[in-house]
Amino acid sequence: MTRVNPSHLLIELEHVLESDPLIDEVGFVHPSQFLVLNGDQPQTKNISEMPSGSDANASGNFWNRDHKLGISIGVLLPLYNAAKQAFMEAVERYKKELKEEYGEDSVSASFFNSLDCLENDVMKHSRALLLLSSDFGTAWNSRKQIVSKKQQLAMFVDELHLSKLILSYSPKSERAWSHRRWAIKIISRKFVNLQEIVEEESELVKGLAERSKMNYRAWNHRCWLVSYMSRGQILHELRKSKDWAGLNVADSSCFHYRARLLLWLLDHVGNCNQDANFGVELYLVWKEELNWVEGLIKRYIGREALWLHRRFLSVCWINHFATLSLNAPGQDIDKSLLTHDTDIFISNELQLFQSCTVIPDNNFEDYKAQATYAATYIMWLMKQVPEFPKVEASKLNILLKELCPEKSTIWDGLISLCGNI
Amino acid sequence: MGELVVEKHTKYIVTVEKSKDSFESVVMEHLRLNGAYWGLTTLDIMGKLDVVDQDEVVSWIMQCQHESGGFGGNIGHDPHLLYTLSAIQVLGLFNKTDVLDIDKVANYIAGLQNADGSFNGDIWGEVDTRFSYIAICSLALLRRLDKINVEKAVEYIVSCKNVDGGFGCTPGAESHAGQIFCCVGALAITGSLDRVDKDLLGWWLCERQLKSGGLNGRPEKLADVCYSWWVLSSLIMIDRVHWIDKDKLIKFILDCQDKEKGGISDRPDDAVDVFHTYFGVAGLSLLEYPGLKPVDPAYALPVDVVNRIFFSK
Repeated sequence: MTRVNPSHLLIELEHVLESDPLIDEVGFVHPSQFLVLNGDQPQTKNISEMPSGSDANASGNFWNRDHKLGISIGVLLPLYNAAKQAFMEAVERYKKELKEEYGEDSVSASFFNSLDCLENDVMKHSRALLLLSSDFGTAWNSRKQIVSKKQQLAMFVDELHLSKLILSYSPKSERAWSHRRWAIKIISRKFVNLQEIVEEESELVKGLAERSKMNYRAWNHRCWLVSYMSRGQILHELRKSKDWAGLNVADSSCFHYRARLLLWLLDHVGNCNQDANFGVELYLVWKEELNWVEGLIKRYIGREALWLHRRFLSVCWINHFATLSLNAPGQDIDKSLLTHDTDIFISNELQLFQSCTVIPDNNFEDYKAQATYAATYIMWLMKQVPEFPKVEASKLNILLKELCPEKSTIWDGLISLCGNI
Repeated sequence: MGELVVEKHTKYIVTVEKSKDSFESVVMEHLRLNGAYWGLTTLDIMGKLDVVDQDEVVSWIMQCQHESGGFGGNIGHDPHLLYTLSAIQVLGLFNKTDVLDIDKVANYIAGLQNADGSFNGDIWGEVDTRFSYIAICSLALLRRLDKINVEKAVEYIVSCKNVDGGFGCTPGAESHAGQIFCCVGALAITGSLDRVDKDLLGWWLCERQLKSGGLNGRPEKLADVCYSWWVLSSLIMIDRVHWIDKDKLIKFILDCQDKEKGGISDRPDDAVDVFHTYFGVAGLSLLEYPGLKPVDPAYALPVDVVNRIFFSK
């Protein structure tokens, strides 16, 4: 490849970003892929017709069509260096100008002009830099500083757009997620109700989670939204995330999200006096969740996430619904029914355990994993739920050591917690 | 299984620091101070800290300090708690904390505490239990814990506890081994480990060990050398480390070494980096691997460094 002038590369990138503000996906691509991409469709937008003599671009360093942007991996290093240098210089000049001028008594009109200019530079260069280095905190911060000074809704919305664009190729970028929350908090405080944003954000996470499995930061963002949701939205989210969870049974983060939604309902059921049916509704929601997860456990053999979700559901079921009638005497569920329910529940769990320890095929590892999770599930309930009957721990220990002798140290440790050895 | 190739790792750490010829290496420059902590602590654990020029490092670190008292990840970068702790730790390694204006740094950290006891990472307001740990660990090392409301800080951390016994980054967030280390470490430093259900948390932590001997950081994830540190140090702090198979974990870490060029990767046969090299070596130290300095599980520094800080006048 012919050697390119780094500052021309930066101008070129910034020009592309400016001329197509709707770019919603970025990728770093190998130069050979440009030929394929261009070969697809000869009418590709011609980025080589750039100002400032970017003749070097004949080889194609950028590709832009249908609001998608490709950057050649061949130019990443010089481009990054140019973007960083331009940004650092701009931000330094900007901070200096702010300090100097605000220190004086009167502020001239020319000051505002040059400040506007500097702000534009910082915004332009930080955008380019962040596309290349998504966790460059100082660049995100400089944007926060400028945007909060202007207080215009459109600018905050632009920040959401930039963060989404960066998450499209760097879905784990901590700074991009945090910038997003920062913008959302201000938008909701000053402009619109956050509840309107919740739906959109939830969809964003769902889309990203599809491509980036068990992404802690993405799911954490969705969990963060929960505290801003109404009860109706919580129930809606529960229904909406169910199909996804059923198709992604190894994504423990999604099950945690469901646990978070369910816990919200549990926390609010007590102080919802005006709606006596809420308690009954939640009781039914919980029961449905238990049945649904049991079905998944039987269909998808040996999935840890499903068993852990069941631990959560079961312990809350026994602890909460067994005491619900005491806390809320006006509600329709009476205590005797619940005690009866608890007995049925326990015998159902023991049956589930028994059925999952039957191993039809010894060569199939998933069945062993299933039996192991079933045994530790019962042990966990024995530890966490005082009402739970003590299955003979020594038998469980033997079973676990047969199933998974590699972990005998762990089994010895855990079995000591289950009492009645 | 083979042995820890100390000389190779030393060489790797020294050379990787100087490489600036690839996009992958320059793109990490915003967290160079974290990198310095990982690399230099690894060298110290292996007894090789003398291969670096102390004065050069100390002078560079002081150039990363911002007028607010906090540190940026590199010269000219904005300050953040993430880099402030690394600065204090590295200066601690060199027994040079006296170059700091202690109260200035401590005031910067204390100024980031919120009314509910939580901490922001910087002036822009993101809250995370990682920042609680960093604030508490930093202030303890500076011997200025009295500048914050410790009781409230502890209450906030406890509010991040989940039904499974683990901790997340904010109340209601999913349990994660890295966050658990931060919460348990902060509780250990403040003498509040009685707020942890040790058996329940120990259960969750020891279920992170997979058949390969390696540890993962969350259910259904692959094993990764960095969790040798996060999970193991937490298990030690709550006194449940005997629940995992230590020999198999040692073998897993040693299998992740690049025996030719040095460095340790997340899993066998992956590309090495400084981050995983540190967590591998620190993990081995916690596992009492011969020839390594013991590491303090809460302060994440060699025990002799911690002792020097606390027992000097």
